[in-house]
This record gives sequence, C-alpha cells and structure tokens, in this order.
Amino acid sequence: MARFLVRRVIFAVLLVFISSSAALFLTRLAPGDLASALGPNPSGAEVAAARARFDLDRPAVEQWGLWMSRALRFDFGESLQYGRPVGPLVVRAAANSAVLGITALAVATLLGIGLGIFTGAQGLSGGLAPVVVRAFSVACLSLPPLVTSLILVFIAARTGWFPLGGMTTPGIVETAWGPWLADVAAHLPLPVIALALPVAATFERLQSQALGETLHLPFVAAASARGVSRRSAILHHAWPVSLRAICAIYGIVIGAVLSGSFVVEYVTAWPGLGRMMYEALRARDIYLVAGCAAMGASFLALGTLAGDLLLVAVDPRVREGVTE
Amino acid sequence: MRPARILRILLAAAAAAAFLYYIRGAMPGGGGGTREGVPYEGAKGAPSDDPSYVPQRGGQIIGSSRSQPRSFNRLLVRDQTSDTVIMLLQGRLVRINRATFEVEPWLAEKWDASADGLTYTFYLRPNLTWSDGAPFSSADVVFSLEAALDPKVESVMAHNMMAGGQPIRAEAPDANTVKFTLAGPSGPGVRLFDALPILPKHKLGAALAAGTLAEAWGPATPPSEIVGMGPFVLREYTPGQRLVFDRNPRYWRKDARGQQLPYLDRLVLEIVPEQNAELLRLQAGQTDLTHSELRAEDYVPIRKAEAEGKVRLVELGIGTDPDGFWFCMKPAVKAKDPRFRFVQKREFRQAISHAVDREEFAQTVFLGEAVPTWGPITTGNEPWFSPNVPRYPHDPARARELLESIGLEDRNGNGVVEDEKGTEARFTVLTQRGITYYETGATVVRDYAKAVGIALDVVALEAPALFARLESCDYDAVYMRALMSDLDPGLSLDYWLSSGDAHLWNLASKTPATEWEKEIDRLMTEQASTIALARRKTIFNDVQRIFAENLPVLYFAAPRLYYGHSVRLRGVVPSVMRPQVLWNADMLSVADGAASKP
Repeated sequence: MARFLVRRVIFAVLLVFISSSAALFLTRLAPGDLASALGPNPSGAEVAAARARFDLDRPAVEQWGLWMSRALRFDFGESLQYGRPVGPLVVRAAANSAVLGITALAVATLLGIGLGIFTGAQGLSGGLAPVVVRAFSVACLSLPPLVTSLILVFIAARTGWFPLGGMTTPGIVETAWGPWLADVAAHLPLPVIALALPVAATFERLQSQALGETLHLPFVAAASARGVSRRSAILHHAWPVSLRAICAIYGIVIGAVLSGSFVVEYVTAWPGLGRMMYEALRARDIYLVAGCAAMGASFLALGTLAGDLLLVAVDPRVREGVTE
Repeated sequence: MRPARILRILLAAAAAAAFLYYIRGAMPGGGGGTREGVPYEGAKGAPSDDPSYVPQRGGQIIGSSRSQPRSFNRLLVRDQTSDTVIMLLQGRLVRINRATFEVEPWLAEKWDASADGLTYTFYLRPNLTWSDGAPFSSADVVFSLEAALDPKVESVMAHNMMAGGQPIRAEAPDANTVKFTLAGPSGPGVRLFDALPILPKHKLGAALAAGTLAEAWGPATPPSEIVGMGPFVLREYTPGQRLVFDRNPRYWRKDARGQQLPYLDRLVLEIVPEQNAELLRLQAGQTDLTHSELRAEDYVPIRKAEAEGKVRLVELGIGTDPDGFWFCMKPAVKAKDPRFRFVQKREFRQAISHAVDREEFAQTVFLGEAVPTWGPITTGNEPWFSPNVPRYPHDPARARELLESIGLEDRNGNGVVEDEKGTEARFTVLTQRGITYYETGATVVRDYAKAVGIALDVVALEAPALFARLESCDYDAVYMRALMSDLDPGLSLDYWLSSGDAHLWNLASKTPATEWEKEIDRLMTEQASTIALARRKTIFNDVQRIFAENLPVLYFAAPRLYYGHSVRLRGVVPSVMRPQVLWNADMLSVADGAASKP
C-alpha cells in the first residue's frame, strides 16, 4: 500500500510540474502579451516596464527557470490582471470549483448510477421507462455543456426560477453564515445541472451496460437458484461487481469536474478555476495560467488516486494486487 | 494501525481543514463572524419618472465591471476599470464635467491664471479632511505633483504634467493655496489638473521618499489603507467577484439643499466579464448599471425591456471615438513591400473613402444608430468638431479614376487592380475577435472595396495577438476603434504627433514620414501651447483639413450611443465619455433608497 501511495505521489508531482511548465511555455509562445491590458495608447516605456516586471523581456527558458525557482519556494508569481500573488487567487478559485464540482459529482453519481441500475436491470424489454431514460442519457451526452448552460441561463432569465449566475446574489455584502450558505446553495442548481447532466448520462450508460452483462454471469444465476430474490441478486450480488466499470473512469471524472469547467463556469459566472484560467489565457496572464494548470493537475492527480482507491475497495482482485 | 485506516484519517482531516479554510476565505467581507446585512431588493417599487422627485439619502446600487482594477494608484494605471474605481475614491483640484465638457471647481473652489498663462494659483476649499479624518492641505497637492513627476514612480500621468517641454512646478504659499508654474503656455490650461489625482501625503509620503510609491496601493492593499477625497471609500475587494464602496462620511460636497453627498450609502461593482451576462442581469433587475454603452445589437432587446418597464434607456449622444480603418505606413517596416508604393499614395486611400457608402454603412453596422463621419473628431466632440473638411461621397466611378491615376488597373480581369509590375491591391484586414461591430464593419468595408477592385481579407484576432501585431506593424490594415486620450486635442498629442504612441499608422516615429505629417506636427505643437481658444480652434480646423485630405485613417460612421440603467436609479447625468454614469456618482440616488438601505 505504501509503495502504491509513493508511486501516486511521484506521479502527481510529475503531472503538476509538466502541466504548469507546459502552460507557461504555451502562453508565452501564444501571440501577444500583456500590452493589450495596459489601457488605451500605452507608451513604449510603459509596455517595456510592464514586460520587465513580469520577466517577459527575458528568453522563455530563462523566464521558466526563474519562475520554477520561485515556485519551489511556493511563490508562483504575480497575476497581471489581479496585481496580487497567484497562489491565494488560485486556491480561492479552486475552492469555489470544488464546491461546484463535488455537488455536481454527487448529483451525477446518485442520478447516473441509480438510473443505470434501473435501466440495466430492466434490460432491453423493460417497457417504456428505460427507453425514455436511455434516450434522455443519449441526448445529454450529445449536448455540449455550452448548449446546456445557455439553455439553462435562458430558462433562468425567462422564468426567474434560478439566479442568473454568480455564486452569491449581487449586493449581498455582509450577512450571517447561515443565509450566506443558503444563498450559495440557491446559486448552485444552474451550474450543477449543466455540469452534472453529461456525467450522469455517462454513468447511466456505463452502469446500465455493466449491470446488464453482470446479470448474465453464472454467479448471479447461482444466487437466483439458491432462492435469492431478484432485487437482492441485483443489488447485493451483481451491482458491486458491475461497479468496476464506473470506478475505472471515476478518478478521471473527479479530476475533470473538480478542476473546473471553462464553459459552465464562464456562462454561469461561477468564480471558479475554469473561468479564471480562461480569462487568464485571454489576457495572457502567464503566471496565473501556470498556477491554474498546476491546480487543475493536482485535482486530476487527486481524482485518479480517489478512483484507484475506490477500485481497490470494490474489487478484491485489485486489492490483492495493491497490498502484495 | 493499518495503512488504509491511516489514509482514511488523513483524508478526513484534509477534507475538514479544506472546508474550514474555504468557509473562512469565501465569506463575504473576509468572514470571521456573524454580521447583519440586508440583501439587495432589486428594482421593485420604483416610482415613475417624476420631475418633482427629491433625492433622498440611503440605499445602494449595483453596477458591473468587465475587468479588475489593476491598481488603486491612478499614477500607475490608465485602464478604464482602474480609472472608474479611482474616480470614486479620489478627488481632483478641478473636474471636467463629462456632460458639458466644462471645467468645474472641485477641491479648489477657485483659481487665477496669469495673463501669460505661465502661472495658475488654486485656492483650496477650507477645512476639508481625508476619508480617514486627516486634514487636507496644499501640501497634499504639491506632494501629488511630485509623485506624478518622480522618475522612480514611472507614472503614466507624467507626460500630462508637462508644459513647454518641462515639468510643471508647484509651491504652497499657505495651507489653502497652491501655485503652479509652467515653463511654457499650455493650451488645455486648467484642464490639465483634472488629470492629477490628489493623493494623501500622510499616507504615501514615506513611500515616495523611499522610492517605493510604484508598489503602493496595489490591488492587494487592505481597503482601510486606501484614503481619498472622493465620494466613496473602498470597503471590500474580492478579486474576480466584486468591489464594495461605502459612503465617505467626510466627503466635502453638498447638494443645492445643503444635504450631504453622496446620496447612496453603498455602491457595489460586480465583476462580470461578459457583456451578454451583464445585460441579462440588468434586464432581470439584478443590477442597476452596466460597464459601458450598449452595443448596436443590444438596442432592440433593451428597448423591449424598456417598454416592459424593466430598464431605462438614455441617449448619450454621438460617440467621440469612431471606428477607424488604416494601413500600416511605417516606412522602415514596409519599404520592401511592393504594395506600399501605392498604399502610401493618398489617392489610394481616397479611393477607398469614395468606395464606401457611409449612410448604408451606418445602417448595416449600427442598425441606423450612427451618423456618417469624415475624420476622428465627430459631432459628439462639439467644441472641436469642424464641418469644413474634405468629404468623399459614395462614388465608385471616382474611386476607380483615382486608382487609375496612380497606375492601378485590373489588367488581368480577375476583379482586383494591379500596378504596372503586377502587384495586386490585396490586403489582410485585422480586427478584434468577439466585437460584433468591428467584425461587421470590417466585412462591410471589404465588400465596398471589392466593388472598386481592392481585395481585403478580414481576419479577427484575440486582443493580445492583435495588439502585438499593431505594436510591431506586422499587419497590412486594421479595422477597430482607437480611443483618443482626451477630447481636447491638446491633450491627445499622442495621436496627432508623429512621435506619439497612438499615431496609429506609424507608431512613435522618430521623424515625420511625410511633409503633411510634418505640418500637422508643427500645427499641433503650436495648438497645444496657444492659450486663446479661438486661435486654438482655427489651428485645429487646419489640422483636421490636412488629415481629411490625406486620410491616414479612414472613418465611416460614428455611432449614436445609448446606455441602459435600472428604473430605480435617479440623478443620472449621462455622458458620451466612460464611465457614462459613474463619473457623477455622488449625485446618484435610488427611488427606493430607504427600502434598500444596507
């Protein structure tokens, strides 16, 4: 187990290092830099001073070396747009993304696996309900999150059922913790639905297929022959085995959802990591891009670790392999 | 203990710590305790527009900003968001009224100017205090000028505080008097001092002495450290989310009834980077005002919202910065480009001007909400607009004649004119991606140019990539809006002088590239140092005429600008200049002020 964890930590460090370095280089290589953010008609001297402040007047490799030497001391540079250290900015945005991601993941997991068990257990001849669920899943998988988000924002604007965007109501400046949490919760449905629907549809399809296949395995037939009820055979015998398929992708899904969705966060104005990285890329805010990439990679590494641990928990064969 | 159990304990502890950290960090106002507050009530209950309405103190408004302030120190930044924020926090000696363009007394109640225009004496209002209670005096004004001119600060304002080629000098004969001495006369005169933010010496004096003023008052500075003479004080800045301003209880200004200003208790600027989202919020009653004027494509939905009583639409007037179309004409870069031979001829540019039907252009690009324009100074800038400049009516036949006069004809019958060496008049036009009227405008120009044999390929780029191309003259032509630094041409020398950083077609040239640019340099230098307004106007009319004859930048239409705000907002005095409403923030009030008191 210890060796497994050490391997995972090394993988995580490498992932963060490569992602952030690649992000730094690619942003540097992209055409344009911070000059466009300096306001109308900046003088040559102003532009040169700003470039020098952010080490943009040095060769890319030298700039990377300086940034890396500072990053090893947990100084990830200063954001051009925000004029403050990148570290706290990224941590705050990551926390916001995590709130959204964890909620979306919980919704997607409950909805997707629940519906997957339902459709998988019913098989292809289970009546209209499984067909409707399957069709809905396929539709959700086909719709890009951009379209889903825009449709939801449009519905919110027309009906007033949900806040239009953001994490809290504009103008609420100070309030007690309880109402503040309630306000955040009121803003969650729109981005959570947009983020959770395609994930839930993926889980539903995977769970349904895996359960359908597992139900045909001999041990389920044996359980039925022993007089175990169909409900119990599905939930206690077939379902845990069929979860392997979900666990295999769960880690990647966790990482992807937690590290923020560019599209959903941008359209719904959720102040998370995805939106921050998108705006940083547009502004060529080079150190903020690298910081966001590092945080996203950390989430991905954590997600993969969580997925592996889940796999260990549900599959004895993997558990034996890990503990050997 | 088993490894799995250790792992579970560690994960649980990490989750708990992360949750506590998040809750503490994400609480509005920094968290850390239970405080009372009242949420925004929205636009409900707003009375109809009543001329007898008497503004009441109280309430809050919510505006939006599309970007972050880069600093709270105006000496260091020039971007619009920072400028707006600093306008709310800081005072100036005089203020240019953004609606009338007249100079108004502000922290100085009056001033004298010597007959030769070399000395200005300002008399400060007595007994004023900074937002932290420290007394305001002439020493603060002298300090502010010193800070603006200090080479270590590298202030963006430094060039504004020059006259006759030398820095302006200041002295304080007494606590309420400041005397400025100029090395040469300045055409803009007292208007120069609208640009100088007055900074607190008691707060920033040590930083200037230590040479660290350039780092002072950055975005991470605690709000309580930022002291000003403006109508509001900064209460909270949450990066990427919002800025919260509270009334400055020591603000000096009162209304005509003697009531203390500002009327509002609080002003919140939510950061909403996307203009569509910003407008949706306005229509839904979640915000009171937006970052800037409406786009042409927003007119119809906002008019509909106005008819439904959700929004109030105000006409700002004709925009002062029309979209321009220009070629890079930097000889050092373009000398080897065979197309430069005909681009640098004014007949070529005049032909494009004749090719465009400006009335139709205004109709297509701005949905009819624009007027034809013939130069950079539009009717929106009434004091300096000259109607007597050469105009180029829509005349494709005349355009072809002009092209033929410089040897450009369609020799191979492919629809594009060539010179005698076979060089086609084919160019790539860059514009900024995501701005609809840029992309539409560039496309419309392309279609008109095609009709006279000039091929333009439009390419839209992201802002950083576009600006990088502009800076290095790595482009054929550009279609976009270039903002003038000021409405007074004497303060926009960066556009007019060939050495200027906003001399679009040939940025920061060491010497004038042509005779007519040399002549404009001479006239603008004279204009900027002439005191008599009539003489300044005459000179500038000549400049506009020379410009329109040579057309280094082609202008087609100036949009009629509109602004949308909530129906509960009162005291709006709209301006064509940004920020269109917040320039007068101390006079804004809300119809349901008491109900939405924070």
